[in-house]
Amino acid sequence: MIRKLPKPLDEPRVLIGASALLAIVVVAILAPVLAPHDPNHQDLLQILVPPFWQEGAEAGFPLGTDGLGRCVLSRLIYGARVAVIVGSVVPIGTVLLGTTIAIVAGYFGGKIDWAVSRTVDVWMSFPPVVLSLVLMVGLSPGLRNVILATVLVDWTRFCRVTRGAILGVMKLDYVASARIAGASHVQVMLRDLLPAVFPIIITLFSVEIGIAVVVESVLSFVGVSVSPAIPTWGSMIADGLVTVFQEPWGLAFPVSMIIVTVLGANMLGDGLRVRLDSHHATRLGADL
Amino acid sequence: MVGDTRFVSLPSADARLYLGAVRAAQIVGGILLPVLRSIATVAVQLLAVSIVAFVVLRLLPADPLAMMLPPNATIEDAERMRHAFGLDRPILEQFWIWLVQAVQGDFGKSIQSSVPVSKLILTALPTTIELAVFGLLLGIAAGFVLGIVTFHYRGTALERVCETAASLSQSIPEFLWGILFILVFGLGLHLLPFIGPIDARVIVPSHTGFLFIDTAWNGQWDAFGNHLLHLVMPAFALAMLKAALIMRLLRSSLIETYREDYVNAARLRGVGERRILFHHALRNAVLPTVTLIGVQAAHTFGGTLLIEAIYSLPGLGNLMIGAIRTQDLPLIQGILLTYCGMVLLLNRSVDLTYRWLNPRLRAA
Amino acid sequence: MERDTASALAQPPLLEAVHLTVESGGTKVLRDLSFALPHGRILGLIGESGAGKSMVGRVIANQLPPGFAVSAGSLFFETDDLLALPPDAHRKLLGRRIAFVPQEPMSALNPALTIGQHFAEHLARLEVPKSDRRGVTLEALADMRLASPERVVDQYPFQLSGGMCQRVLLALAFVSKPDLVIADEPTASLDATTQVHIIGLLRNLQSKYGTGVLFITHQLRLAAHLCDDVAVLYAGEIVEYGAAGTVFRRPRHPYSRALEGANPRFAGPWRQLLSPPGHMPGLNELRDLAGCRFAPRCASSTEACLAETPALRVPAENVAVRCIHDNAMPATEPGVVAPVRAVTDAAAVPLLQVDNVFKSFQGSGLFTRRRKNLAINGVSLSIAAGEFVGIVGETGSGKSTLGRIVMGIEKPTAGRILLDGKPIGDSTADWRRRIQSVQLVFQDPRSALNPRRTVMRLVTQPLQATPQLRPDLENRAAVLLEDTGLPADVASRLPSQISGGQCQRVNIARGLCAMPRLLIADEIASGLDVSVQAQILNLLLRLRRENQIALLMISHDLAVIRYLCSRVIVMCRGEIVESGTTEAIFASPQHPYTRELISAVPPEDLSRRWPLPA
Repeated sequence: MIRKLPKPLDEPRVLIGASALLAIVVVAILAPVLAPHDPNHQDLLQILVPPFWQEGAEAGFPLGTDGLGRCVLSRLIYGARVAVIVGSVVPIGTVLLGTTIAIVAGYFGGKIDWAVSRTVDVWMSFPPVVLSLVLMVGLSPGLRNVILATVLVDWTRFCRVTRGAILGVMKLDYVASARIAGASHVQVMLRDLLPAVFPIIITLFSVEIGIAVVVESVLSFVGVSVSPAIPTWGSMIADGLVTVFQEPWGLAFPVSMIIVTVLGANMLGDGLRVRLDSHHATRLGADL
Repeated sequence: MVGDTRFVSLPSADARLYLGAVRAAQIVGGILLPVLRSIATVAVQLLAVSIVAFVVLRLLPADPLAMMLPPNATIEDAERMRHAFGLDRPILEQFWIWLVQAVQGDFGKSIQSSVPVSKLILTALPTTIELAVFGLLLGIAAGFVLGIVTFHYRGTALERVCETAASLSQSIPEFLWGILFILVFGLGLHLLPFIGPIDARVIVPSHTGFLFIDTAWNGQWDAFGNHLLHLVMPAFALAMLKAALIMRLLRSSLIETYREDYVNAARLRGVGERRILFHHALRNAVLPTVTLIGVQAAHTFGGTLLIEAIYSLPGLGNLMIGAIRTQDLPLIQGILLTYCGMVLLLNRSVDLTYRWLNPRLRAA
Repeated sequence: MERDTASALAQPPLLEAVHLTVESGGTKVLRDLSFALPHGRILGLIGESGAGKSMVGRVIANQLPPGFAVSAGSLFFETDDLLALPPDAHRKLLGRRIAFVPQEPMSALNPALTIGQHFAEHLARLEVPKSDRRGVTLEALADMRLASPERVVDQYPFQLSGGMCQRVLLALAFVSKPDLVIADEPTASLDATTQVHIIGLLRNLQSKYGTGVLFITHQLRLAAHLCDDVAVLYAGEIVEYGAAGTVFRRPRHPYSRALEGANPRFAGPWRQLLSPPGHMPGLNELRDLAGCRFAPRCASSTEACLAETPALRVPAENVAVRCIHDNAMPATEPGVVAPVRAVTDAAAVPLLQVDNVFKSFQGSGLFTRRRKNLAINGVSLSIAAGEFVGIVGETGSGKSTLGRIVMGIEKPTAGRILLDGKPIGDSTADWRRRIQSVQLVFQDPRSALNPRRTVMRLVTQPLQATPQLRPDLENRAAVLLEDTGLPADVASRLPSQISGGQCQRVNIARGLCAMPRLLIADEIASGLDVSVQAQILNLLLRLRRENQIALLMISHDLAVIRYLCSRVIVMCRGEIVESGTTEAIFASPQHPYTRELISAVPPEDLSRRWPLPA
């Protein structure tokens, strides 16, 4: 019998989600080439210019300008850079931290598991948004600290879900079987536990991409993210909200960008989950 | 023999007394004990939470005083200020002093405004609670109805439509829903108000701080309606994610419950489909959904923070954002703990509901 | 023909299937089923998993799985054709005139409802006035000999044992005094002593109300005692049909004989189990089977068997057989031989000693009360090299926990395990020593296999920890597969791609990989069909002949223990209540618990009344 490899690209959701994310990455990398203006250049004579399809639009500013006369398109393009960095580093950090702790806790059980579960409980009684804001107060603004704060807040979600799955696997006899076949604790964790929860990790990972981008934009929105000199979608929302009565489009564009990113990440996650689950679906019961 | 008859007649009265005592013990054990245990648990959790909050705020490198001092301040000025706020004492002592005061309801004074933190929090709290409760109820109601509807129409186009809508609703964070609602229903269609908790021209004499209660108390029904209109969009923004999550979970746990033997056994006894759904399946399928609301408790209050900022509601969220911008540590700390307290309370009440709904736990 | 075999009565049968055929995707999963169940009689449908016996119940319930449909034939309930009945009229019959007793009593009751609420709902549907319902419920429960009906009424299903749940379900089924009860393996998940009570109750109720019962089971001997008529199913066909005694005493179809030959006996001389090669064809294999569906596994099959589907013949009174061969006598009568018993040296140091072991589990929590639960209470035993020892006991006797403690997966609360006379400690070196000498095969074959490893990597798992042995993996795997009777081509497959019996062979192969001296087998054949079980048991006997391995066989099945083991240990609630040689224990049990266990086995002799009336 031939083992069928999972073909995740067959799933349209995976394809759409991955393409959306990939497009944003490309835009971020090519920002200096694509952006028509310096994103921080203020043209105080051209403030609140509407986007190109509306009356009063300026040819030089296809998506208009904000309250300080900065090019919205350029700021959107440069804003993708922070989103891409945060959206790629944070999920890796949360997976490493959360999954490792979860596997160790779930495998050894007992006091270790008790301590981890209680820590997660305490951690999760902080509203995530509030905790990350407070962490940023403590850590002082900057990209590195944004990533650190987000990882410190979000690892618990990974930990809780993965630990639950590990406990499910631990009920099966194959973990004990591996032990009595001579496997060491580390071998059991890497060869028997990790592969079993891999589909879950992949799904959480892709969903976390979106969450990280949202959290960064929230921090920017409040003004405790990266330095104000770096354009982000969140700070554009904050600026846009101030001038929303005069020019609502300045708000609509960054909002759409975040939605596209999150939607792409979630579709990727959903699609991958469906794919990976069905790959391991048990064969139809032979009992008539 | 006389003694014997007495001895025979007594046990029934004794037995009744005994049964009464057993029943009382059952009530104590079944209702009071879990509640007491919940209170103890919340207390322990709050202590743990306050330790974490203290560590995060006092050990991380932020220096709140630097912002408050004038640019020409001397080192002595800084020291004096440090001493005035007690920041020069050992960290454990600081924590102990803070904890003792906090237990008495004293969270210190705001560095920025010198108003007691507890007073600021109590003023802001009702708005946040109203918003959270409204949003939560809306989300639960919509989620349940949609969950049952999509389960009933599983495999049809209606289910796919709801499913797509749910995954869209779930993908957009609350504060973006808030902004989208403002753009569409506020600015675009001019349907609903979106600034403040109530029109600025309306004056509501305050009794409780809860505008719904105060307007009703004063008989200001116009103002009551006005407040309701102001809360519709923020509450919906909060409810979007919850409704989607609850809908999906309820549907999938209904599907799972229908695979259980007892559903089929009921069918084989000739029980009708409607009764199977509402009497047999829903009772069991609702349990994971209840748990979800508890797990989501923290998220609910996180959501109110941003929604308040966007809709200019004078709740804890706006207070927090102000405190963060001015690095007002006592205020930040007080609000943080208030948030955690609300999360833990919601968690506990969900837990007790779960216990009440789940006979396995009730009977244990 | 069917009418002849059932005692001919004037009124039409209660339930009659006429050439009933169920298809799925063009495959006939039930083919040409004809049987008749007269009023007040018990018809047994017998077969292994995959035979299609549960499908019959589903047709009656009008609950075929998606993709399955009745393509021919009819199914009469008295004069109504159940297949033609409108859904509403059909539903009216359920719970009133047709009742079901399900397979898994614990999960067939709604955990959110009390027993009383279950009855209230059912009685409301039966239009019993509200004021009478509690009385009727209590009476129905009392009929089931439940100790205190008043308490049970207000309890939830999870507060009751499996046996109690099944009594409640029996009461629910019989409270409407139905004409027909379908009992699908009602005792398969229960302990043997509980099974006896349930079977006894079922028969009492059946004779009290004159109910017709369709009894679906895989236990031929149980059916022989309980049923009036039996139909043996294989791959969706009735292969033999007739009076229960006739079929059991003298099975005529090769498959019926194979079933009987694969079933270890609990009385009479020891005989080698015989089992047909291969396994029951699955849904996708049925299509390719031309002619007799049993032919590929049949010892006496000829060219003619493959030519066309054999029809039911009536070779003698009261019996019909779907086989073209008129071999009324078995082609090969299993040889009666002396039991294969190992010779052990009494003077030598025992391979393994369990020395006064205790094990307690306790709940933990900050505010919850701790409850101690003694699972093993001072157990001592020893096993000599090459000895086969059986541990029997029911659920909760602690026998599985003991096995896990010996293996070292579970730590004893007190007591020692000695290997070659030396105690095993907690050190890594001692763990190595232990897993080199002792291996455990788990009960659930699939759960013990990592679904992401191929069979080849699974059977050689013990060697992978030692890197220098890696080059030999393929050779070792080939040898192990051959030793355990697995075809070589399964090496590259995943556990999900092989059958349950094959999975258990893979587990045994892995256990043998590092050549241990003691194998602990925890109910390794209990989830498997009789014919597969026989293959596994014979494999263990062959391994002892060839490898001088010792076995600690944990089982609830006395006949299996009798077949394999020279010594028996009887466990009850964590304690050893009796131990000795197999012959002595089973011939003259001393402890009342052992006697109860033995009386729960349906006797070979059909003239003995079983189960005895309580």
